[in-house]
Amino acid sequence: MLSPKRTKFRKAHKGRIHGKAKGGYTLNFGSFGLKATSPERVTARQIESARRAITRHMKRAGRVWIRIFPDVPVSQKPAEVRQGKGKGAPEYWACRVKPGRIMFEIDGVSREVAKRAFELADAKLPVSTKFVTRFGEED
Amino acid sequence: MATFTLNAEKRERAGKGAARATRRAGRVPAVVYGDNKEPIMISVVPLELKKLIQTGGFFSHLVEINVDGKGHRVIARDIQLDPVTDRPIHVDFMRVSKGHTIAVNIPLHFINELAAPGIKRGGVLNAVRHEVELNVDPDNIPEFIEIDLTGLDINDSVHISNVKLPAGSAPTITDRDFTIATIAAPSGMKAEAAQEGEEEGGEE
Repeated sequence: MLSPKRTKFRKAHKGRIHGKAKGGYTLNFGSFGLKATSPERVTARQIESARRAITRHMKRAGRVWIRIFPDVPVSQKPAEVRQGKGKGAPEYWACRVKPGRIMFEIDGVSREVAKRAFELADAKLPVSTKFVTRFGEED
Repeated sequence: MATFTLNAEKRERAGKGAARATRRAGRVPAVVYGDNKEPIMISVVPLELKKLIQTGGFFSHLVEINVDGKGHRVIARDIQLDPVTDRPIHVDFMRVSKGHTIAVNIPLHFINELAAPGIKRGGVLNAVRHEVELNVDPDNIPEFIEIDLTGLDINDSVHISNVKLPAGSAPTITDRDFTIATIAAPSGMKAEAAQEGEEEGGEE
């Protein structure tokens, strides 16, 4: 699973996801992409699960690029613990995804395979998504 | 090369307030500039623009824009899209004058993939560039450039020097022989190679 190698601080504020993506909203590597259309925190597990769904459907042909990285530590308090006594321990890593962000890109497979692979990946993600192709080609 | 045509209306006011008002009125703001003349602000119908975009080669075709009865020979230089909906927000058109060459991004078409032994063996075509910027005569802009992959094996690559460019065109990047595509090893083959390497290292 993806996670930062080292961090400046162990715990982060929860934060909010405002507005649309200011970058990373065009295809840069592959011919097909999966674009988020709603804001949500995507966890490292969800990214890995979606990646596996894509590569399995592509039968290890073609190439996959992951355009998001989980760099926000999310903490949780243990079960049956009273409130207070400080912030909980970091449990997992997440990525704040804004609408418009390209999360995955694919190349080297047919349009039909790419579309189905992204449908399977979409089922693993908490955001609503859409299939995108390079500029000038019909979606 | 065919020339596109587009009807436009002149806009009077500049700035984001006016541009947003144009969008609220159901049109897409655009600008025509270049050729040492004053820029003019225009607006176009989204449906007509969408048709041009979906025809393909939007940035590599000349466009004849009719603004209130007056024709302008232009080429699309930039388009801003909404990050979520991918609807056009604004378009830049540059006037094209005769006798000048212009830099245009020409799309690349990869052909004869099945004639490449590397791809037959499971390699992946890794297109480093999907288009290449060429200095061309505006009246003879190539639709696309074909990249022949015949005979390429895994780890082989195609550079700009291997590509036959149309007459009268030259790449804008001249200081290096840049890569256009490579045939990459499939992930399975890479994993096997890494495993073999580890085993060999372990034996030593």
